[in-house]
Amino acid sequence: MNRSKNSLYRSGFMLVLAVVVLVLSGQAFGSDDEDGGTIMFTKPVMAVVFEHKTHIENGLECDSCHSELFEMETGVAESKDDFTMKSLYAGKYCGACHDGDMAFASNTRCTVCHIGVKGYNKAMGKETSGASGGH
Amino acid sequence: MEFSELENLENEGIETLPSEERRKFLRFGMAVTGVFLGGSVLSLTSARNARGGLGPIPEAGKFPYKPHYSMVIKQNRCIDCERCKEACVKTNKVPSYGYRTTILELEKDLGNKGKERVFMPVLCNHCNRPPCVRVCPTTATYKDKKNGIVMMDKKRCIGCKTCMAACPYNARYFDEEVRAVDKCNFCFDTRLEKGETKTACAAACPAGVRIFGDLTDYDSELYALVHAPEKVVWVLRPETGAMPNVFYMND
Repeated sequence: MNRSKNSLYRSGFMLVLAVVVLVLSGQAFGSDDEDGGTIMFTKPVMAVVFEHKTHIENGLECDSCHSELFEMETGVAESKDDFTMKSLYAGKYCGACHDGDMAFASNTRCTVCHIGVKGYNKAMGKETSGASGGH
Repeated sequence: MEFSELENLENEGIETLPSEERRKFLRFGMAVTGVFLGGSVLSLTSARNARGGLGPIPEAGKFPYKPHYSMVIKQNRCIDCERCKEACVKTNKVPSYGYRTTILELEKDLGNKGKERVFMPVLCNHCNRPPCVRVCPTTATYKDKKNGIVMMDKKRCIGCKTCMAACPYNARYFDEEVRAVDKCNFCFDTRLEKGETKTACAAACPAGVRIFGDLTDYDSELYALVHAPEKVVWVLRPETGAMPNVFYMND
């Protein structure tokens, strides 16, 4: 029972991976999923993940964020100089909701969104740079 | 050995005891025998004074080094962007198969709230009692008498890798080109000697994770953080008794 659930889960994950790999590296990507899918930001730091699914499940609509906070088009936010934590604290971008009131504050729980180089590599199916080399 | 003989022995003090040993002794003393040794060997009543040995921070004013270089790592701020690693590689010409600093990852289970990642930067802890120095047969690795940095003299290294095995922090690698072990030296030759005040990794961190400083500088940010009354400060693998100088805390 558990095993079949696991393999189902895994094949689902593989599907997501397959979607994920159709991407220009070093750029944020979206997918053509109905709901926008997974967004991965790689600038200004590696790497931040945004799940449309999670946010929709929390009752948000497309127009909650689009296009006031974020353009529909992938990569626009990243190309802007003010796409920084500082802006978030000032209520821009994610900070519009992630202010400690509507959702957890942007200056807390960093690793919910920041998945780092390791998380990025995992999503890309690359070997992660583990603590092994020559040690 | 008779008790009377024990009483005449010089008190070795508790500074040199690893805390694990001390705990074992206390447990043994209280749980098994209930013997009170009257202060001549290790009195249970003086456990209050033993606290300095149990806490990770060297007691103020008892530093053998000046400056006493050390680093604070605010673990929960680390987002694994790995700019520290890039800066270190660039500054110290670290080959691809080794590292002077790296970032470990673990997944924390949040119960019904799913999972969260924890990233932990690690580097040489520049211990006050470094196991690597103790085992090096040629004194190629040694503790700098002035500033406490654990250094490598690559000309003396014979590549036996005993230090790599001894290091509790897995902070050493063998440099195939130089044929010597290499490790973090707080950028001593590449930055500190040239007048920089921060290591490459600390300067490159965008999240304020790594705070490099001098434990004898009472006005420094590092000193304030390590001695802040409300802060929980921990070190990695304290049970080894190595007395590391890299302190971890959450913001």
